[in-house]
Amino acid sequence: MSRVALGAMREVPPGWSYNPSEWSQRLPVVGLALVGFAIAGYLALFQLGGFARVWEPFFGDGSRRVLTSGISRVLPIPDAAVGALGYLADAVTGVIGGRNRWRTMPWMVVVFGVAVGPLGAVSVLLVILQPVVLDAWCTLCLASAVVSVLMIGPAMDEVMGSLQHLARARARGMSLWRAILGAA
Amino acid sequence: MSAGTVARVVTIVTGLWLMAAPVILAYGRPASASDRSVGPLAVSMGLIALWQATRGVRWVGLLLGAWAIAAPWLLGFGGAALASGTGAGIALIGCAFLRGEIEQRYGGGWRAIGAKGREADDS
Repeated sequence: MSRVALGAMREVPPGWSYNPSEWSQRLPVVGLALVGFAIAGYLALFQLGGFARVWEPFFGDGSRRVLTSGISRVLPIPDAAVGALGYLADAVTGVIGGRNRWRTMPWMVVVFGVAVGPLGAVSVLLVILQPVVLDAWCTLCLASAVVSVLMIGPAMDEVMGSLQHLARARARGMSLWRAILGAA
Repeated sequence: MSAGTVARVVTIVTGLWLMAAPVILAYGRPASASDRSVGPLAVSMGLIALWQATRGVRWVGLLLGAWAIAAPWLLGFGGAALASGTGAGIALIGCAFLRGEIEQRYGGGWRAIGAKGREADDS
């Protein structure tokens, strides 16, 4: 077996059938994050007064009611702006690191997972609050929530790979700190 | 489509149904609030469990289904909302048990993280 083939094999985590840090695995998630960023960015611009009307094809003035509600102003900046920053963090942490970052940059994979998971959870919570508290639906808010939840599954396999790598390093007696920074 | 994917799609459609049912079947609170809470959670769970690495999330369907079935009795509503919620609950619980094929290998999966960590603690 050639050295190149051995090198390529090392990029698949032990006991795995594929490499979760492969670009073909990561770029779709990054693409979704950019779509989410565009949607949330548009909604944030409306909330910040960039335009007078917001696109809403199905639910009458639902989007306007949701986007100007008390819930949307709980934080110092509008909630869609928080969402847009979250998507940006997803895209950036999704794209940094090479195709074997599950072991060379575990901390980045963990930050990526921490960015993707809670963003999805908060999106789902907001989807519940729209009809239950505000009696309104917002089409683009729902679209954004679907995007954020769609990212969770394909992001978490890489997190699993990195956490397994850290568990193995600890079992070998290596310090967790060194392992998470990517010392082999 | 594999059996695992079908079960996730049924879960997602069931969640969407719960979100739309208050309008389609014309019922209000408390049934509508219950269904519009369970619905988005079911859709999310179905979407996450589509992927083999996170297929375990499907078990949340047991909780959601149990709530959908129990809610009419706990919150006191009947009629179409009861029938819809009961049907949805049965579907969610049934789908939770359908894992489907896991074709990829994950080196012990999520369990390997805790187990290896404990081994290190013991040594």
